[in-house]
Formats: sequence, structure tokens, C-alpha cells
Amino acid sequence: MDIMIIHRQDDVIHFLVEGIDVAFANALRRTMLTRVPAMAIDEVLVLENTSVMYDEILAHRLGLIPLITDLESYNLPQDCDCEGKGCSLCQCTLTLEKESGSEDVVVYSGDLVSQDPKVNPSTGEIPLVKLAPNQRLIIEAYARLGTGLENAKFQPVSTVAYKYVPIVEVDKDKCTKCEACVEVCPKKIFVIDKDTLATQNTLDCTMCELCVQECEPGAITIGSKNDAFLFKVESSGALAPEAIVENAADTLKKRIRVSLDFVGKL
Amino acid sequence: MIIPIRCFTCGKLVADKFDQFKRQVRQGEDPAVVLDNLGLHRYCCRRMLLSHIDIIDSFMAFATTEVVEGK
Repeated sequence: MDIMIIHRQDDVIHFLVEGIDVAFANALRRTMLTRVPAMAIDEVLVLENTSVMYDEILAHRLGLIPLITDLESYNLPQDCDCEGKGCSLCQCTLTLEKESGSEDVVVYSGDLVSQDPKVNPSTGEIPLVKLAPNQRLIIEAYARLGTGLENAKFQPVSTVAYKYVPIVEVDKDKCTKCEACVEVCPKKIFVIDKDTLATQNTLDCTMCELCVQECEPGAITIGSKNDAFLFKVESSGALAPEAIVENAADTLKKRIRVSLDFVGKL
Repeated sequence: MIIPIRCFTCGKLVADKFDQFKRQVRQGEDPAVVLDNLGLHRYCCRRMLLSHIDIIDSFMAFATTEVVEGK
């Protein structure tokens, strides 16, 4: 199995994996979605809320804020020594106190004060609620680790997708250089380069086959490799995208080991 | 009421981008270009910002908080 990183940005990673089949690619995708733990606010204690927003909506909004996760120093509640009751090894408290004076105030995720400096909202610019004059908000929120299996707010990724590696082939003898494909391709894959039809950025091809339909002489064929996949992993901000992939691969390995051990005992 | 924190469909964070989107569109920029620059490429995330109307300000007009005198 070979992995090649094509593109890496703050919260997105594109990579090419060669030498795997669909079953494995999908197992990896599903592991990233449901088994990689991430931090999220799970319980909220509303001490005072005189804003126009109901406590429940506010608690729901708090739950959706992605928190920067430190997997090293926190345990999943079910694996913790405290048996899930909530101790400093599996729980982190965040507080929020905001009062509007004589003017309207927007409460942002950056107003949350965390007990652990490592666990913080991934961005402080998420508007939570707006306070009218003389309204007050005092909140205590408890964040914990969880997995996407339990609730989607614990997913460290927003989208994980994979696609086949496209192969775009042009038969130079059949091509009449009508340029119909150049116009029709939504990803601008075809270019006329010195009187011959050339292809560029073929990895962007979505295999819509519009070019094949448009090409009258039938010079273009679109195929795909069946043992290579292009992955796109988009992090929610909780974990770095490459950390998500690494963690998912580890988890998948452990889970396969468990099932192999079980099969071995039969 | 107020901009949803994440995209309903894919779960991408959208709330933090709404202020900038609103400001730039009000200045007359093309919403499609602004959305591209904000990194919202999928149509599920784009509709979150495009179709949102903030009505929390209308609610706030009916706020029932009492003003405590001499405070």
C-alpha cells in the first residue's frame, strides 16, 4: 500500500492510496467518521439565561462547537478509571459569563473560558447568541471525548470522501480536434496544445463522461484504476486531518485484530 | 433565529464565516465569489449562508428583561 499526499491545507488533506480495494477504502472512511474520538460539549448547566434563546437551543449550539482535542491527555468516559462519572481525566469544564450593558452584545465561542488551556474552541468567531440590553448569560459546560458512533457532534471530520483514480485517454488517430470536449468539460481537463489534444489535471476528472458523449469520432475513453483511491478528508477543526487518518488506521488495525482473534478461537 | 453552527448536511463549520459573508455581500460583492473565498465549495454549505435570514434581532425587540433601577 502506497500513500501519496497530493494537497495539504490547514483543515483538508487530499491523498492517493494505491494497492487497496473498495472494501478497505470504505472501512477506512467509516472508521474516520464513527470511531475516531473527538472532544465536544456534552452537558450544560445553565445558571442564568435571560436571552431570547431557549436554554435547550443554546445547549445544542454549544455542543456543536468543535473543540481542539488532545487525545493524549483524555480518556473516553467508558475507558476511564472513574467509570464514566466524570473526572479530570475524561472531562473538561468550560464556563461562559457575559452581560450586556446598555447595548446589544454578541456572545462568541471565544468567550468560553476553558479549565484546560489545551481544550478550546477551534475558532473563537462562532456567534452563539445575541444579548439585548441588560440580559445575562452564565453557563457551565462539560466537554468530554466521544465518537461519531454516539453523536455526529463528536465526529472529527465534516466530510471524508474517496473516488476512483480516473484514466482519461485520447485516441490521437480518431481525434478531429473539434474542441467540443474542451468546451464541455466542467473541470477543464482538455487543452489544445500545439495542434494536439492534451490532458491536464486528470485527477480532477469527475468521470461525468460529458466529453465521451460530445466526442463524435469516439476518440475519448474514460476509465478508472480499480486498486487506487483518491481520498479527501476535511477536518472539523478538532484534530489535524493527518492525525485523523493515522488514528483511524490504528483503530481499524485494532478492530481487525480483535475479529481475527475471535475467528481463531472458533 | 441565528446562523446555524454547522452545515445541516455535511457538518462543516459555517457560523464563523457568516459575519464576513454578510459584510462583503452588503458591499456589493458577488455572493458566489465570496463563498468560494470562504472555502465553501459544496452546495449544501453554500445554501446555509445564502438562504439564512437572521431574525434574532426581531425577537430581541420583545425581550422581557427588567431594567433594575439604580444598578
